[in-house]
Amino acid sequence: MDRKMLGVILTLIIVFAFFLGLVYVGGNMLGVERLQTGERPLLRFAFVGIGLVAAFLVYAFTKENKAWAVGTREVVYMAIGAALYAVFSYLFNGTVFVVPSVSQVALRPAISIPMFFGYAFGPVVGFFTGAVGNMVGDALTGFGLYPQWSVGNGLIGLIAGIPMLFADKKKSLDTVLIVGAILAAIGTLFFFLFRQVPNTLFYDPANNIFGDQPASLLVGLSIVVGFVLVLIVRFAFGKNIDVAAAVTWGMLGNLVGLGFAAISDIWINGYPPPVAIVGEFLPSAGPNLIFAAILVPILVIAYKGLQRQTGR
Amino acid sequence: MLVTWRYRKRRSLVQSFDPRAWIIFYLCFMGVTISFWDVRILAILFGLSLGIVISSGLAWRETRRAWLFIGGFIIYFSLFTFLTGRGGMEFYTEEHVIRNVQASFTLFGWRPVLHITVERTFYALSMLVRVFSLASMTILIPYSFNPSQYGVTFRGLGLPDKIAYAMDLTMRFVPTYARDFQITMDAQRARGYEIEKLRGGLLAQVRKLAPLIVPVTIQAIAGSEDIIDAMDLRAFGVQPRTWLEELHYHARDRVLIALGVGVFLFSLALSIYGVGSFWIPEALKALPLL
Repeated sequence: MDRKMLGVILTLIIVFAFFLGLVYVGGNMLGVERLQTGERPLLRFAFVGIGLVAAFLVYAFTKENKAWAVGTREVVYMAIGAALYAVFSYLFNGTVFVVPSVSQVALRPAISIPMFFGYAFGPVVGFFTGAVGNMVGDALTGFGLYPQWSVGNGLIGLIAGIPMLFADKKKSLDTVLIVGAILAAIGTLFFFLFRQVPNTLFYDPANNIFGDQPASLLVGLSIVVGFVLVLIVRFAFGKNIDVAAAVTWGMLGNLVGLGFAAISDIWINGYPPPVAIVGEFLPSAGPNLIFAAILVPILVIAYKGLQRQTGR
Repeated sequence: MLVTWRYRKRRSLVQSFDPRAWIIFYLCFMGVTISFWDVRILAILFGLSLGIVISSGLAWRETRRAWLFIGGFIIYFSLFTFLTGRGGMEFYTEEHVIRNVQASFTLFGWRPVLHITVERTFYALSMLVRVFSLASMTILIPYSFNPSQYGVTFRGLGLPDKIAYAMDLTMRFVPTYARDFQITMDAQRARGYEIEKLRGGLLAQVRKLAPLIVPVTIQAIAGSEDIIDAMDLRAFGVQPRTWLEELHYHARDRVLIALGVGVFLFSLALSIYGVGSFWIPEALKALPLL
């Protein structure tokens, strides 16, 4: 076993032991209420364990893969991706161009950048593009920094870059679609259960709307519309595996990344789960899927043309 | 349309510290703030953040848009929490009524009633003060952090050379791509493209944004080859790199870091033992229960 692998295993064991110790010593021995796990503590720790083991297995099986390598080329692509994402976010997030919303569905074309960079240049470039680009974009607009949303955006790029780990990019596409369908169905179910929850991301100062309008039907269904579009692209471009894989993995990255950010707001900002899912997750993830299905294929095809032209 | 950095050198408290020290202090401040829900403690932190903002030398006209946007957002959410009573349920199990406001109309036989309770009021107030403290400190960052020091700062904070340099390059590319975007947009306008008048349904509008996004992105990637070659020729990544600007901690920076970390650890300990949790005045507990 090489030293790097040993280091990773030790780190994971230490992380697990730290949380276990914190709960055992603080919660059980000292009786600190905030450190007690409540019901089913074993089940909760099982999930922590499963998460760590899953992270380790992904690393262990892919550690030799070139997709994780960071050389000069990756450093430059990271910077280009993050700068483009920041600039497009700044321009299209209502600060410079007020691109009209369609029934509360805000047009955010910038999201295609982390998906495309993740797919074209790998998970590390994708993560950096999403996370740093979002941070810099927020800094430019003056909205302040929201770390959980930056990490969520990073996850979009990271997951979009996962196909680079596979020799055959067709692998797992159907599984990814099924997982995406389940996540989209859960989001839509929440929308129909909590119809009065406002779309917290929709601002229209001209009409005195500051994220307080109930989410429109189109917002609620945008995730379904986006998923159907992704499905169409996946099968319409069945022979062009680059387009199919970029769109399919970009879709999963979008659902997981923004789901992570929105759900973390339940603890960070104290939002009730329906507000996090219907008010934040659906209005952001739904329209993004539409961009994934339309702009990402155009970028992938244009990039392939550039590669043919330059021979790199 | 011009993307430029909002940073300007100012004579201010924030900029008198090493940027690494300030980032560590900022992270500690965030940690301290999210450790508490007691409005009295949060008010102290809010006062501290306001003091830092006032001493930063920022003019209102520079930050007006950010304040109005974030202020509107925070006030709306606090109001929403207050009106619905949602969000604070994990902190209290019973509510003491200040007043029940009944609507003068009915909706399908149902008369809306707003329960104004001590717990909802104090929870909304705590949330308002807490988020405003965090926002006040965060707004300062782009205005007070020199973009040319991003790389060396992140390296100094322990990030690997390559990641720190990627941060540095990102900052340099932003104005360049903003200019490229402007040139592309002018070229497309000359061909009759008008971003302000996008027509058609949702899908058509998304597709019509491609003539702006795609050329700028592909041109940036095509142009990257020169940068990659230049970096490779200078043996980028072969050995630990050096930076044009060097940062050195002074005594005041060390004091700031020690203060930030010390207060954060103390707050964490207090928070674990339940000190600083949600608070309402004892006198108001005499009010009738909901």
